[in-house]
Amino acid sequence: MKIEDKYSDSINRLGQMGILGAIAFMLGIPTIICAVYDIFPNFITVAKSSIGMFALFTPILVSEVFSYTPMLGSASYITFITGNIMNLKLPCALNSMNIAGVAQGTEEGDAVATIAVAVSSILTTLIIILGLILLVPLQPVLQMPAVQTATTYILPALFGGLALSMVAGDTGGDYVIKGKLLAGVLPFIIIFVLNMFIPIRGLEGVAILVMIPVTLFSAKFLYNKGIITVTLKNDSTEEPIS
Amino acid sequence: MSYLDVANSSLLYVLVALGILYVLFLSVLFLVKAWKRAIALGITKEQLNGVVTSSLLFTIVPSLAVVVGLFSLVAALGLPWPWYRLSVVGSVVYELMAADMAASGLGFGSLGELVKAGDAASFGTIMYVMSFCALGGLLVLFFAGGKIRKGMIKLGEKNKEWGILATSCFFMALMTVFLPVMLQAGKVYLLTLGTSALVTVLQGVMIKKFNLKWLQNFVLANTLILAMASSVLWTNLFA
Repeated sequence: MKIEDKYSDSINRLGQMGILGAIAFMLGIPTIICAVYDIFPNFITVAKSSIGMFALFTPILVSEVFSYTPMLGSASYITFITGNIMNLKLPCALNSMNIAGVAQGTEEGDAVATIAVAVSSILTTLIIILGLILLVPLQPVLQMPAVQTATTYILPALFGGLALSMVAGDTGGDYVIKGKLLAGVLPFIIIFVLNMFIPIRGLEGVAILVMIPVTLFSAKFLYNKGIITVTLKNDSTEEPIS
Repeated sequence: MSYLDVANSSLLYVLVALGILYVLFLSVLFLVKAWKRAIALGITKEQLNGVVTSSLLFTIVPSLAVVVGLFSLVAALGLPWPWYRLSVVGSVVYELMAADMAASGLGFGSLGELVKAGDAASFGTIMYVMSFCALGGLLVLFFAGGKIRKGMIKLGEKNKEWGILATSCFFMALMTVFLPVMLQAGKVYLLTLGTSALVTVLQGVMIKKFNLKWLQNFVLANTLILAMASSVLWTNLFA
């Protein structure tokens, strides 16, 4: 067995075990609490209360797995288990690959993204614990109108910078991709127009899943025509923007 | 026992603490495994230290935003359960919606009404509803995660150039969805997005012009803080 396959199998196994453990806790905690305090809910009530939420969120969660896993690789396990994907883990993973100068979808990118997300998850968990300990003194500060406003705009505050790393054009590790922004023109226009009639906010995961084949098709077409080019970096001293 | 007695019970604190310890342990396992792998692939310790520094710096502000979200859930769900939910699979919007839907499923007009009624049994329903609805993504990842990962790496090996371009298309697709939505979400969104881009450019220029390589690890964290701060200004001016 090749070393890559061995690592691949081992990290996938760890991810799958991790998911099973997380599910066991997610369902085990309510079960123990309900058993100890004798407050088991009626199955029909739980089903009735869950069905709307399940119908709404399951397609979003499932499409997020198919949209983000190709970028995250094995980091996707720890990302999806710890949550806060769009506002924390995904930007952190993408930034880490830029910092290390490795490409998404490669063995190197996979390892670097996993390190970044694992480190980020540990720190987030510790900060939340600190937040709980300092709940009383922190509450007035964190509930100030200015802080509440700033946290509302966390995604645009992140995405301006992230979009720019796309414009910089060297997110391909050892390769330079020229003209790749052109592949995004068609999906950008589709979403821009569609969003005028059907608000996409909250359904971004589903929209990305639909736009991935459109972007890939555009990229392949322009690549075959020679409009988008992928070449080996000549100048290894070049620095990524972010 | 009342609703809030169960929601803030010591037993729930203990169970949640165990759940959080499990996630921490899992994160450390992933970190160690990926670190060894990265070194074996020829990535230098300096590069990895840069990744760790940058990830830590970047994580602080969004994590504080999670703590802000935690405060918004405490009144309705007690302290331990939101702590767990926001550390595992969670997001503030999802948790609030799930709890609210559970309240309406139980025949209450709102989550507030449910808490006021104080029936401990309602808390059991809320915990189950919030957990069940979050399972879909994890189950799909369990079965498909490894296949997607292997598929992406094989694509790169088969045709290196096209593989590199194809993998970058996933990020591009993400941006082509988020950017138009944000551009149409109002002046404050637009200006915050612009500020974020501008701050990134300025730092990029400084890194190149003054050879400030150390600044590289701070770019995303600085961008996030300054752009979030600017959103307060834009809100006061235009909202």
